[in-house]
Amino acid sequence: MWDGVIIGGGLAGLIAGIRASENGKKILIVSAGVGSLTYASGTLDFGEFSVLLGKENHPFSVMGEETTRQAFEYFLRILPDYDGKWGKKNSVLTPLGELRRSDLTPRFLAAGPLNAAKQIILVAPEAPKDFFPDVFKRNLEKHFPVAHIIVKPLRADGFELHYRQGRSIPGTDYARYWNSKNGIKELQAFLTGLEREIRKGNSDIVSQETDSFKDTVVIFPGLSAGLSYSLQDLLAQVPFPVIETTLFPPSPGGRSLEDNLKRKFKAMGGELLIGCKALRAEIKDGICQSIAVESKGKELNIQARSFVLAGGGILGGGIQVTPYACQEALCNLPLYVPPEWTKEEFIGEQPYARIGVEADFNLNPIDDQGNVLLKNTYICGRMLAHWDPWTEHCGGGVSLASGYLAGGKI
Amino acid sequence: MIEYTAQAVIVGGGATGVGILRDLSMRGISVILFELGDLAHGTSSRFHGLLHSGARYAVKDPASAAECAQENAILKKIAPNCIDDCGGWFVQTEDDDSVYTEKWLIKCQEAGISVREIPVAEAYAKEPLLKRKAVRIFEVPDAAVDGFKLVWANAKSAKRYGGEYKTYHQVERLLRDGDRIIGVSGRISGTGEGFVAHSNIVINAAGAWAPHLVGTVGISLEILCDKGALLAFNQRLFQRVINHLRQPGDGDIFVPHETITILGTTSEFVDSPEENRPTVDEVYKLLSQGEELLPEIQYHRVIRAFAGVRPLYQEEEDDRSEEKRASLANINKAVIENDVYVKAGDEVKVGDEGREVSRNFAIIDHKFEQGVEGLLSIAGGKFTTYRLMAEKASDWVACQLGNQTPCRTAIESLQPEISPDLYQQALKLLPWGAADKMLERLGSEAAIVLGEIQADPRKGQMLCECELVSVAEVQHAVIDKDAHCLSDVRRKTRLGMGTCQGAFCSYRAFPLLGQNREKYAPLREELRNFLNQRWKGIRPVLWGQQLRETELTRAIYSDLLRF
Repeated sequence: MWDGVIIGGGLAGLIAGIRASENGKKILIVSAGVGSLTYASGTLDFGEFSVLLGKENHPFSVMGEETTRQAFEYFLRILPDYDGKWGKKNSVLTPLGELRRSDLTPRFLAAGPLNAAKQIILVAPEAPKDFFPDVFKRNLEKHFPVAHIIVKPLRADGFELHYRQGRSIPGTDYARYWNSKNGIKELQAFLTGLEREIRKGNSDIVSQETDSFKDTVVIFPGLSAGLSYSLQDLLAQVPFPVIETTLFPPSPGGRSLEDNLKRKFKAMGGELLIGCKALRAEIKDGICQSIAVESKGKELNIQARSFVLAGGGILGGGIQVTPYACQEALCNLPLYVPPEWTKEEFIGEQPYARIGVEADFNLNPIDDQGNVLLKNTYICGRMLAHWDPWTEHCGGGVSLASGYLAGGKI
Repeated sequence: MIEYTAQAVIVGGGATGVGILRDLSMRGISVILFELGDLAHGTSSRFHGLLHSGARYAVKDPASAAECAQENAILKKIAPNCIDDCGGWFVQTEDDDSVYTEKWLIKCQEAGISVREIPVAEAYAKEPLLKRKAVRIFEVPDAAVDGFKLVWANAKSAKRYGGEYKTYHQVERLLRDGDRIIGVSGRISGTGEGFVAHSNIVINAAGAWAPHLVGTVGISLEILCDKGALLAFNQRLFQRVINHLRQPGDGDIFVPHETITILGTTSEFVDSPEENRPTVDEVYKLLSQGEELLPEIQYHRVIRAFAGVRPLYQEEEDDRSEEKRASLANINKAVIENDVYVKAGDEVKVGDEGREVSRNFAIIDHKFEQGVEGLLSIAGGKFTTYRLMAEKASDWVACQLGNQTPCRTAIESLQPEISPDLYQQALKLLPWGAADKMLERLGSEAAIVLGEIQADPRKGQMLCECELVSVAEVQHAVIDKDAHCLSDVRRKTRLGMGTCQGAFCSYRAFPLLGQNREKYAPLREELRNFLNQRWKGIRPVLWGQQLRETELTRAIYSDLLRF
């Protein structure tokens, strides 16, 4: 008998698992896939928090400010390599070189140093998949009209064969290389060379006085250094600021966050069952007794005292939609289904995104009268109704806060 | 004001229009075509892409069936690069009437359509997804045809013969001098610049838009707008065309196209050709009908719905009068006297459903109908017979101009042959499937694309991973002078038409659009328009995997990129 079984290995599920394990509970995470974190950029956003807090039924308003804030602080405690201060936003670069706001960001992602930069050097690793230095540079020029912007190409030894064959290199592959032994060595040589160029100047780069390197900022996309000790050490030795950008999925930032959370969870004794789909739940007297899980071609019956539904809503597969019905896939809980499904304009609000299970302040699922339907089951992240991470820009925030809250209830 | 002069002007850049453009150009007649949008943006691309064997019409419309049978064979010869000769089956299920099957077999024979019965067990082995309710199965020479490719192949062939086409040129009125039409005038979309074209003859090949054009000189032309909705599935569910062997109805044809399958079609009269938005009701109708052939249809991923408007020609009620019949006979007679055979849309039945109207075509010389000379309208018909319609219209034009050159469109291939060297080069630089598809789309122009890849191997990367289109090919389409927006690029390359519906590939087109900023709208606007256009077809099929894909697309554009 587990203390808690969590369905879903994304951000909410992992946070719930880590917190409950920290409390000494025996936790199993069952996940049909690998979660959606690699699609995300690795930053955690809370949107216009005060506005969302005032929105009736919004998960932030259901959980309350105190809980959300505690979750924020908790995240910084378990991942101190993230930057963030409650109520204060950082700017980060989008994959196209524009700016957006965020709340919790991996170290080296905050774009603040660019504001004071007189010279911005954009390092452009050769043949990057889904990263366009020209477009990026044009957008930088718009946002930082005063700065002199230089694109500095970089060919990595480790990918020579790829280049010759004309193959592009995904950001996740570059990140893995920069974090490898050879990659770090090459990176070090490159940055030393760059330092020399900045000191002396060349046809593109304006020479800087030795003690005012701060005028120059280097953008290095896809290092994913925020959670890597060896890269942090390396960048700490460089005399000019190096910042990163968020990247198009699959993103190294998201993957690095996922890897770290999984490691933490396992280190605390948690167990992960990935690639195993939860099929159905056995429910008696308002209590979820056990779930059936598909594992290596056979069914496992898993019992637990508590359950967390963190299956990622529509994108994650925890909510299934056919032409004829919408269903919460495991416990068949009633769903809030918006009366209107879509809007004519694609970009922006889409009502269907607010589909989900309604929950009380404990995250227990409730019916339309507010009665608790399952006393030992908690609803997290995208399984919750009444929010839209893509227009409210609060995906990471809601998943973090609800995972934190559910983890504490187990 | 831009001025053009030609012997003939064609209005409408669908299959019929470009077919006439090619035919007349090959006869040495100077001709210019105006199209209000991009070529093939209307009905010629908004259909199931079935190259009819004629079998579907055998019982109801024997004349059409026979025409289809002939044209099917011709097009397979002249346009193999646009056609997947996958064959087709007619499936009689246990719910269908065997008397109809017997009648159908006789009619197919009469129309010259070859039919071969396939043992049911063999059929299930070849098409494992087919519903286990088949009683008898027959093979016919149906095929899949790519409307975009065929239209562009005609336009490009015409160009090699000196024919001209102008896209985004909206013809606003016919120019009239007494009883003669002497040209057209209009406006270029976007810039708003005016143009005028002087010609001896104007051919109205505007399809569902045809009545509007002749309406500008007070001529009424009765075209029924028959909307047909279709579903596109994300994989090749069947290896060949699958027809339901029964009275033709809704949702009874599956046509495989490259990596997808199209299920069609519904039929509903609408007021205007602009009403081409598929509705949720039509989607449900198609699903329930399609289920007759494909079990558990709702679990197969639908990537989008789309709809086209068939221009069905219908004579007006009072056309049925003896007097009008006589005048109709006169048209035929008059033209036949000139040694040209023009077929008029005979046998018109009026019913509630578009299927009751003949799919035959009509060529209307407005001299006999309304006393206006130099104006020909071509109406009705279907994609499979576009070449025949073009031939007949061109015969009429040639006759008017005293040109004696015979039609050669039935014998001359649409695309110059691809040299073995070019083929080998393509295979060296691109994966097999991608190389093949590119050669089909571009023909000898592929040499330019391959040259780009040779010079910079990075351009051999697949920009569109769903449809296997290289960076270099998209770039080639982006800089093409006929491309003015991302949707134009899509029609030439299939960009955004696969499973991701633009989520990844439209992003990857950014740097290419960025390099050609003078031609395109700012990136955000270009992308918004493109995604909205894709969204139109996704909205009514928003469930299952496509809904998950849509959430990913929103995550990327609304959240990550902050569009």
